[in-house]
Amino acid sequence: MATDPTISLRIRTALGKYLKRDPATILTTQHLRDDLGLDSMAVIELLYRIEEAFDLQIPDQDLVGLANVGHVVNYVEMRLEKTASPAPNKKPAKPSKPKGKKKI
Amino acid sequence: MRSRVVVTGLGIVSPIGIGVSDFWKAALVGQSGISAITSFDPFPMDGYRSKVAGQVRDFAVERFVDSAHGERVDRYAQFALVAAKEALADSGIQMAKENLHRVGVIVGAGMGGMVMGEREITQLYQQQKPYRVHPNFIPVITLNSASGIIAMVYGAKGPNLTISTACSSSAHALGQALHCIREGRADVVITVGADASITPLVFAGFCSLRALSSKFNDHPEKASRPFDRLRDGFIMGEGAGTLILESVAHAKKRKARVYAEIAGYAATSEAYHMVIPREDGLEVAHTMRLALADAGVTPAQVDYINAHATSTTIGDAVEVRAIRRLFKSSADKIAISATKSLIGHTLGAAGAIGGIASVLALHTGQIHPTANYDDPDPVCALAGLSRSAQERRVKVALLNAFGFGSNNAAVVFKRAAS
Repeated sequence: MATDPTISLRIRTALGKYLKRDPATILTTQHLRDDLGLDSMAVIELLYRIEEAFDLQIPDQDLVGLANVGHVVNYVEMRLEKTASPAPNKKPAKPSKPKGKKKI
Repeated sequence: MRSRVVVTGLGIVSPIGIGVSDFWKAALVGQSGISAITSFDPFPMDGYRSKVAGQVRDFAVERFVDSAHGERVDRYAQFALVAAKEALADSGIQMAKENLHRVGVIVGAGMGGMVMGEREITQLYQQQKPYRVHPNFIPVITLNSASGIIAMVYGAKGPNLTISTACSSSAHALGQALHCIREGRADVVITVGADASITPLVFAGFCSLRALSSKFNDHPEKASRPFDRLRDGFIMGEGAGTLILESVAHAKKRKARVYAEIAGYAATSEAYHMVIPREDGLEVAHTMRLALADAGVTPAQVDYINAHATSTTIGDAVEVRAIRRLFKSSADKIAISATKSLIGHTLGAAGAIGGIASVLALHTGQIHPTANYDDPDPVCALAGLSRSAQERRVKVALLNAFGFGSNNAAVVFKRAAS
């Protein structure tokens, strides 16, 4: 899948704002918990901001696949491509793999 | 034998100053912290009967505490954090040297995290998007968010409690902290009162109760006038106060400076009415009597009363009736002041802030003025009330606090034995 630099930048900017650090220092390979120090509550807060920024709803089932920055970027790209993505609760999605490229 | 308990640190966030030094300087000159409400912008004030409040201006939590903690909690808990930080530093306690399981936190809060609470509720009802409710909504509005965050910041692993009894909340926090140390369950209790709910909904609620002053909207500094003939309701305030309580033995061991002893406490219910006190003052007098007995002092020994005195027509009259009932001929010999005349009614913070004024009266021999006591109402006049600061060698001070729900508290402080 082609990576949309705008989406990646927006997500890293949101992360940078949350973490109070320069977005340029945030890499897509970085693990949200182990590298960036986000606890589980902080991940939920971050995803809340991303939902708002991209007008998305992220079902609980998908959270498990979002371990590093790249997973989040890929996931958002995939969701935005799928304009007719199912609303949450209607059709429970399967958990994504850590690669985050699995369809939901 | 039960432990004696002393106050060794103070901290405050108030409409007349952040920090005890600024607060006390302003209080002694009778400075008013009441001003026109601007914080509802862009929500219009037109529909509100009362338009003034005791607001903490220009408060930015990151100026005082690490934003990683401060930004996770609502305004009232931010105030609590700032007041706790000052009080701990003032006490000289070094947490690294403490047995952390012997350090408790007890907070009194009446309303809790209403800033985020109102915002989220409004958005949910307007937008009907439940998935847009902020993930921090529940932890922020939960009433023990302040006691929790203080414990986390300082590593205090002892008893961690929140007392919510409306306007008497932090007087009870002081009392429960006293009991906690007396009973040997903690050496130190970080005791806090905090509230920050000058918000569109809460303020409207108090307006609808017809509890707030509405005659002085054009002269905010005149609006809070306990015991004065023209008083017409209380003024909402916001803030936090922290008192570090510790056992005498613990304070002596670390050679702490002692402000005062906290010697007695009583908690009662009038079992009467949700918002109206008993007119005869019988239960208020009973509460003060119990607290004095708990402290081992007689009514005649009381030099100073920090009155609950909210500036409501009935409340002030009842409190004076109760004072006359208990103290009889000595009632007019006692110095009295109403802290709410300066900062408004800080609800859950009022007991702690009144406690700080009481402790400072004992420690400094100075009693702050009761602002706007211009024309004493005959039904609640007392000789010990004054628009000016008073100097007196205070040995015993009594703090009153009463709350909605028919709730009464009284706390007694004594001059620390030298």
